[in-house]
Amino acid sequence: MVEVIEESIGKDGRKVIKVAKEYLIAIMKDLKSQGYDHLSLITGIDRKDKLEVVYHLHNMKEDKYLVIKTETLDERVPSLTSLYSSANWDEREQYDLMGIVFEGHPNLKRLFLPESWVGHPLRKNYDLSKVQYINMDENGDDYATFDPGDGW
Amino acid sequence: MKTGETGILTTTLEKALEWGRSNSLWPLTFGLACCAIEMMAIQASDLDISRFGSEIFRNSPRQSDLMIVSGTVTKKMAPRVRRLYDEMPYPKYVIAQGVCVIQGGPYNQGYSVVLGVDKVIPVDVYVPGCPPTPEALTYGLILLQKKIRHETDR
Repeated sequence: MVEVIEESIGKDGRKVIKVAKEYLIAIMKDLKSQGYDHLSLITGIDRKDKLEVVYHLHNMKEDKYLVIKTETLDERVPSLTSLYSSANWDEREQYDLMGIVFEGHPNLKRLFLPESWVGHPLRKNYDLSKVQYINMDENGDDYATFDPGDGW
Repeated sequence: MKTGETGILTTTLEKALEWGRSNSLWPLTFGLACCAIEMMAIQASDLDISRFGSEIFRNSPRQSDLMIVSGTVTKKMAPRVRRLYDEMPYPKYVIAQGVCVIQGGPYNQGYSVVLGVDKVIPVDVYVPGCPPTPEALTYGLILLQKKIRHETDR
C-alpha cells in the first residue's frame, strides 16, 4: 500500500500528491494502470537541505493532469525508465543540470553539457565565479575547461 | 575619383576593389536565436537588402563574405561559430546583432552564454537591440559598406 504524505490542489487546479521516494515506482505503476499514460515532464527543485523532484502526468483519454512530488536527502531517486520511455531524456536532463542521480537508469549521462563539465549549474551551491569554457577536439567532440585557450 | 571630360572614370585599384566588395556582401545563412527572425526580415520584400548588393544568403560558408551573428551564442555553439568563420574566405566581415551577441544580454549572469561573440571571432559592426529592428540591421549593413569603402560616417 502506498503511503501518501500530502495531498493538495495546486494553483492551476491540478491535484498534487506527495510521496516518499520508496513508494514512487509503486504509485506510478498504479497511476499508469489508471490511464495516466503520458509523463510530460520532470522537474528538479533545490531546497538546499534536500532535493525535490516533480513529475507531471497526463491522462490522454480523459484529458486530466496530475502532479507527483517526491524528495530526497542523498541526491538519489529511483528511475522511471522501465514505466515511461519519455523519462529517459528527462532524467538525464535533471542529472545534468541538478545532479539528481536516478537509480536504475540505463544510460545516465549528461544531456546538454559535455561530460567534463564540473558541477551541476542549476544547483544553489554551484560556483558561478569559476567560468568554464567549451572547446571542440579534432573529432568534433566537446570538452569543458577552465582555461579559455585556443579559439576563445 | 575624378571624371574626365572624355567620359573616362579614373580611380585607384583599391578603391575599385573596395567598391566591388562593399556592394556584393553575401551573408551566410546562419541564425542562432530569435534575432534570426529579424535577420530573415531584411531579406524579405519590405527592406530587401538585395538593393544594397547583399543579393542572396549563401548556404555555404565558402561562398559568403558576411557573417551576421544573430542570436545568443552559447558556450557549446562558440566552437562551431569559430569553425564557420574559419571556413569563410577572405575578405570576410562580421556583424554582431543584438545585445546577447555583444555582451551576453539578459544571460550575462548565466553559466552557459558567451559574454560577447568578440571573445571568439572579430566583429566589424555591432547592432544593439533586443532584438534590433530590421531597419537597424539594414543600417548596420550600410555602416559596414561605408567601413569597407573607408568612408567616414557623419
